[in-house]
Amino acid sequence: MGLWPLNTVGSCMEYIDNGSCVPAPGPSGGYNKSLLTCPKHYRQSTNSMANFFYEPGNDRLIAHILLNTTYWPGWDVQRYEFNAADGAWSNREEVLARDAWIGVWGSAYTKAATLGSFSKIYACRNNETKIREISWESAEPIASGWWVDPYTWNPKSIYGYAVVNRIDNLLAAAANWTLDCWRNIGTTPERFAQLRLPNVLSYLTYESRNYCWVITQDGVILKADYQIPRWEMISTVQNPEADALKYFITYDTKRKRVVVFRQRPDAEDGACQHQLEFYYPMVKPFQLTQPVPVTSLKAGNRIVLAAHLIGDAGEGLTPYTVAGEMTAPVEGRLTTPFSGTELNGRVCFQYQAPEEACTETLGLKVTVEES
Amino acid sequence: MNEKVFESTKLAQPVTTGDSWQYLCYVSTWDAFLAQSTFEWSRVFRDGTTVKFGKPSGSYVMLGREKGFPAYWSPSTLKVYPAFEINGLPNPNEVLNPNWDISASLAPSSLAGKFIDDINQVYLHQPSANQIDIYSLEDGQKVGEIVHNAGEYFSSLAWVQLGQVAGMCRTSGKVMVIDYLSSPRVLATGRIDPFKVAAYDNAFHLFFAIGTDHKTRVYCGDLWPNGLSAPVFEPATVYGLKRNLVRVRLTGQDGEPLPGWWVNWELEGVGGGILGSLDKYGNFTDADGYASNLYIGPDDGSAGQCKIKARVVLP
Repeated sequence: MGLWPLNTVGSCMEYIDNGSCVPAPGPSGGYNKSLLTCPKHYRQSTNSMANFFYEPGNDRLIAHILLNTTYWPGWDVQRYEFNAADGAWSNREEVLARDAWIGVWGSAYTKAATLGSFSKIYACRNNETKIREISWESAEPIASGWWVDPYTWNPKSIYGYAVVNRIDNLLAAAANWTLDCWRNIGTTPERFAQLRLPNVLSYLTYESRNYCWVITQDGVILKADYQIPRWEMISTVQNPEADALKYFITYDTKRKRVVVFRQRPDAEDGACQHQLEFYYPMVKPFQLTQPVPVTSLKAGNRIVLAAHLIGDAGEGLTPYTVAGEMTAPVEGRLTTPFSGTELNGRVCFQYQAPEEACTETLGLKVTVEES
Repeated sequence: MNEKVFESTKLAQPVTTGDSWQYLCYVSTWDAFLAQSTFEWSRVFRDGTTVKFGKPSGSYVMLGREKGFPAYWSPSTLKVYPAFEINGLPNPNEVLNPNWDISASLAPSSLAGKFIDDINQVYLHQPSANQIDIYSLEDGQKVGEIVHNAGEYFSSLAWVQLGQVAGMCRTSGKVMVIDYLSSPRVLATGRIDPFKVAAYDNAFHLFFAIGTDHKTRVYCGDLWPNGLSAPVFEPATVYGLKRNLVRVRLTGQDGEPLPGWWVNWELEGVGGGILGSLDKYGNFTDADGYASNLYIGPDDGSAGQCKIKARVVLP
């Protein structure tokens, strides 16, 4: 299993347009619009993103973003809300009017918030070792809300990312390279298992009482069962870019799909280029590897050739049918004209070689239907 | 030399400049290979397709495990851990050697591969370039040894089938299939091109190597012919009107017999017509590398010279 990209919302949000050129050059105080087109200027740019999560109550994707601004006091924190169905920016007018302001403390002191048990939002903290229930609106801790402090547990731990399952008394949390799985967090917490991550963690999100999702800094996405624990699948974002600044992941529990927020550098003119990507847990075929003979190539032999149909992360794909076709002139015989992919994406073809030396070419073809 | 059935045009190399592969292991559930370098974990397919999916951490050292999976030795715990089937990453929640700590002197490295069989509770260690020691996982006692005289450490020890491992030498390209369970000994030897990392593909019984030129190469277990002897009559005197036994022998680079190869026989006149006839015009070499034929001398009493030509067609 892997991930099928459903749709991408490029430039999912905007910065406030300055409305005029800055600085105003020339003695007259402005560009002559008859002579040139005034370049765009924006009053904001992304400094960092604290939280990205699915909020089931409003069925929205929420991003808390700290901005650098040209207006006083030089920074701003806004809550961006996107429609979870299509990624449309729901509170555009509000944000552009700077009315979705949430205060700096929520975004400065919480990080990596994600959905957890009872449809509430939980986050790790930058100014304390506790993991708390927070408000989806302001990212501030809920007054007298739920919390745990892993620093008081054995071994003492400080986490930057956490998935909270209060129903089963479980916590899966990571600081950097390992996902620690804790049980009995309400009574005597015990770290019962660990999972090593394939790369530096970028974001962690909750799916259910069993599963969580991980995205690494290079865009590799993994699903884990944190109760066993065990890795369930590995895949990757579509078209990972070297210049993507950071990946954030969340799971839309209503539509059962993965949403990735790709933080990208601003365009040359300062326009915001962040994008939202929606994935369904099913792999999109990425490539067919070349058929490679895996038996001796003697004249007169029945020769087996193996190839793989794989996704972006090299994960095998099934069920697909791969057709083989020999390029003329054909001297032997392809005894398997088509073959179905196995669980690891492998297809095998058999070729009956003639009793004399020859050169043959086998081409493979698979048809993928996009719905 | 083993028969090379494939050489890639694609280059399987780490993305990071200056990085190079250190370990390679076949992963049965992927039907592909897990390659580890200093900065990368990648999945490599036989045709050279390489997909990077991570970066190693935690100082784990890869070694071979039964059924065609990697396992990992940790220098901090001295334990060996299995790998997850999905992504080949070490699973620190399960220990394969709970009763015995494998010390650093017995630990695997990229120069000398090690092997763990936790079903039969056996650990294979290379004390020298010519020998493999067998340790019991139950108590850490040495229970046997195999002298193979390869003259070089096997950089990889990989699972072949129940009770058998394949050893592969990086510089000389020597490969061996070794029984470590029922009666420890070398079962077969062969040779592949020198490589950077290599693994044994236990699904199709192939040697798979990534060369220093980053090309992938696939070798099957069959050895490649190096020489075909001239036809020899037994007994040496040839009679007319009689069936005379004639044999050729097909051998590999190190003189080993090559069974199952197709030999074509032909009669050729020497300054005259063809004398007599052959019983067969094509047959296979036997287990000892010999192909036999019968030459029936002329029945009209004619005398003269005639040549017997035997050929093996190489793909």
